Amino acid sequence: MSQFGRVKQWNTFARCWHLFDATWQNPLQCSPLIEKYLKGLHKPIYHPFVDCGDHVVIMNSKQIAFPGEEWRRRVYFHHTGYSGGASWTPAWELHEKDPTMIFRKAVYHYMKGNLFRRVVMERLHIYPDSNVPEEIMENITNQIQPLRPIPKTLDSYSNEEIEKYPKIIDYPQDYLLSK
Amino acid sequence: MVFTTAMMLVRSRGPDEFWRKRKIFKIAAHFSGRRRNCYSIAIKAVHRALQFATIGRALRKSDMIVLWNTRIRAGCEEHGIELNTFKEGLSRCDIQLNKKVLADLAIWEPSTFKALSDLSKSVSIDYELPGSEKYNVPTNVVTRGLLKK
Repeated sequence: MSQFGRVKQWNTFARCWHLFDATWQNPLQCSPLIEKYLKGLHKPIYHPFVDCGDHVVIMNSKQIAFPGEEWRRRVYFHHTGYSGGASWTPAWELHEKDPTMIFRKAVYHYMKGNLFRRVVMERLHIYPDSNVPEEIMENITNQIQPLRPIPKTLDSYSNEEIEKYPKIIDYPQDYLLSK
Repeated sequence: MVFTTAMMLVRSRGPDEFWRKRKIFKIAAHFSGRRRNCYSIAIKAVHRALQFATIGRALRKSDMIVLWNTRIRAGCEEHGIELNTFKEGLSRCDIQLNKKVLADLAIWEPSTFKALSDLSKSVSIDYELPGSEKYNVPTNVVTRGLLKK
């Protein structure tokens, strides 16, 4: 192989690092997106037997969101192998124990089970908050766009913005707003 | 029958049992254990293998289609166009490239693939295909719709 060809191959198969901010994101809906980057489905050279996937760094996994009753209803099963060793942990309890676990399980279970799944999962780095180690942060070249916009909370509006907000009616002076 | 060695000539006399079994053993040559040496076990394994081969011939075609689609979708995504819009745009231009060729172009001829995606984008904007409102108008393509405007 010529020297140019070798460099071309390095560039083609070089791994990129992507950053994903999990704030207010549903991990179940994000997992197809994360899987795409982990497996390299976003590259035209993709082949299931070729190890061409990228690294994905997920931060703020403590801030993930579930719809409706999901935190209470979603249950994670574990069995120790001994009799009577089954245990069911609700999502909120698992999230308290390890804030990265729900996201990791969501991505792991979304991927089809084969010999490559655990290898691919090694390229997923999840951090509960925005304190990502410096040696990982310096590799990152791309940010994955979140699926949902982060809603603005009522606390984050300043008094000025609240006053300027368009009103339909002015409350009468003697109208009491409950606190 | 052609006898390459004297041994084969000797064996060829009598019933054709040897030759019948030899055909099976040739197919079973790469199997492991007794499945390659014992006829009664080998014949079962060969029948099974040939059934798998028949199924596999159809599977291979569908697997390749899935792989090509994945690759073309990845190529389209690099240029910000959806796979369906890309295909629709090409078919409206009467560009009859199949999935295999498009996937090869996406890998080996990235600039050609970009030109195709630009063409497809401007055609989809012309015909107002769904989802085409978010594309930027490519400056390097002149279509009939542009000339009319």
